[in-house]
Amino acid sequence: MYRGKSITELRSLLDSSEVTAEELFSDANTLAHRFQEDYNSFVTILDTMKYKKRDSLLDGICYALKDNFSTNGILTTASSNILKDYVPVYDATVVRKLKNAGAILLGKTVLDELAMGGTGTTGHTGVVCNPWDKKRMIGGSSAGSCACVALGIVPFSIGSDTGDSVRKPAAFGGVVGFKPTYGRISRYGLFAFASSLDHVAMFTRNVLDAAIVTDVLKGKDPHDMTTLANDEKNYVSLLNQDVKGKKLFYVKEICGIDVMEQSDDLELKETLARFHEVLDNIRKEGFEIEEVSIRKELLEAIYPSYMSISCAEATSNNSNLTGILFGPRGEGDTIEEIMFDARTKGFSEFIKRRFVLGSYILQKENQEKLFLNAQRVRRMLVDQMNQFFQKYDAMIAPCSGGPAPYFDATSEKLSDRYLILENHLAIGNFGGFPSITLPYGFVQDMPVGLNITGRVCEDDLVLAIASHIEEITGMKDLYCKVGE
Amino acid sequence: MIEVEKLKEYAHKLMFDMKEEEYQTLQEEFSTILKQMDLIGKIEGIGDVCPMTFPFPNPDASLREDEVGDYLTVGEVLENSKHQIDDQVKVPKVVREDV
Repeated sequence: MYRGKSITELRSLLDSSEVTAEELFSDANTLAHRFQEDYNSFVTILDTMKYKKRDSLLDGICYALKDNFSTNGILTTASSNILKDYVPVYDATVVRKLKNAGAILLGKTVLDELAMGGTGTTGHTGVVCNPWDKKRMIGGSSAGSCACVALGIVPFSIGSDTGDSVRKPAAFGGVVGFKPTYGRISRYGLFAFASSLDHVAMFTRNVLDAAIVTDVLKGKDPHDMTTLANDEKNYVSLLNQDVKGKKLFYVKEICGIDVMEQSDDLELKETLARFHEVLDNIRKEGFEIEEVSIRKELLEAIYPSYMSISCAEATSNNSNLTGILFGPRGEGDTIEEIMFDARTKGFSEFIKRRFVLGSYILQKENQEKLFLNAQRVRRMLVDQMNQFFQKYDAMIAPCSGGPAPYFDATSEKLSDRYLILENHLAIGNFGGFPSITLPYGFVQDMPVGLNITGRVCEDDLVLAIASHIEEITGMKDLYCKVGE
Repeated sequence: MIEVEKLKEYAHKLMFDMKEEEYQTLQEEFSTILKQMDLIGKIEGIGDVCPMTFPFPNPDASLREDEVGDYLTVGEVLENSKHQIDDQVKVPKVVREDV
């Protein structure tokens, strides 16, 4: 009955007493159970609500939380067998803030194991399917958080974004995915994957709702020394700031006309053609958009650099998963044998491969070539972006070369499309830039998304630009009406 | 191509093992990833750049004062441990009797 409604629509219904928080929770809980078998959004669906009325726009609103955020007394698995029975004894800061705002937790969502991966296929409780087409991926790693918003079960959900783990699935699910500036939202209680790249991020179905959620979550946290001081801005009230005349750029080598014309890939051609139609419409509404160029070899280095940095950091961050203090204990006669057995049984093959890669990269003899060079690429790309940001207000780009891939699709991992167009969103993590995905059309009856990335700490401007583009495209409040 | 034995050595350093066929997959994956990483070394001027470890300098980052606060109780810490004895996590004897 309340499926697919936005935060603002539900707020209005709650304020006019047309519905109660209890009724909203019951409705969302029914939907979550109904779609679980087909789409597998959740690791845990909560059947009882914890709620205390508060004076907040999120009061009485249900949400879902990626299962790598600590929740006091609620199973938190990171979708890994090594944490399959772990019940935290404290709340992550985002959980505490949402609780204090009166938001109601509906459930913990499936991710790619330990947030590593972009397919939604590696969680220990199974594959997450795309609501728009069950034969396709929803993407990841925040797969379940995206799917439950795309299904209209909840109006918002929380995820984490280390390379594109919210912004890419958002594109595949036809919803909004926002990653604020690095440090804008506390990571306390989020299981670390790659600390220098990890961001808390969110899924909503319109930009206004993303601003509402960010206003609640942002701020300095003594538990996370990387958090930024509160910027004292209200993003909701700044959504309507004047953005006419703002200058956007797109990168020729990522999504220029040449990329489209020189490719034989029909899906890519259609996706980029739609993107350039949208650019024309945005120009007509007063934005200036220009093409810029970045050295292709630098763009081709995004993915390997991301892999190098993230796997190296992950190998170190996950060394606490031993089965001794928490998680299933391994068998053996010595502490080493117990850890060895727990980690052998607890990690999937995919995770082990990433850890071995991380270990290889960190070996003394490989550090200069693999780890430090990756960090140098990171700086070169971030410096290049900051140079563009001196002239332009934001970058605009398609999130992908096509709609969500089929589960059995294969990618040529050394192709331009794979190395550049499918991985460029990691630039947002390299530089900690605020970055938002919003839907801009359909290709093969599947949603496709575009991304706006702006200057560090200008989250309000990125949201305002996205809000205006959302009005231009008319792609707002989408959800997949399967089963209606 | 990196040898499987070398990959096993890295895995064991990380305190886990993999199946033989999984090492084969890893070996193939390494081949692709190392080709991709070779691209990085060819970037003009890369040697002149200072490695970047964090997104940007955070003017608000500082070490907080040590203050007494609420911390987990021993009971809470032990809640997720399967083996306990006398308010401590029980593990096999670490000090060998023959040493």
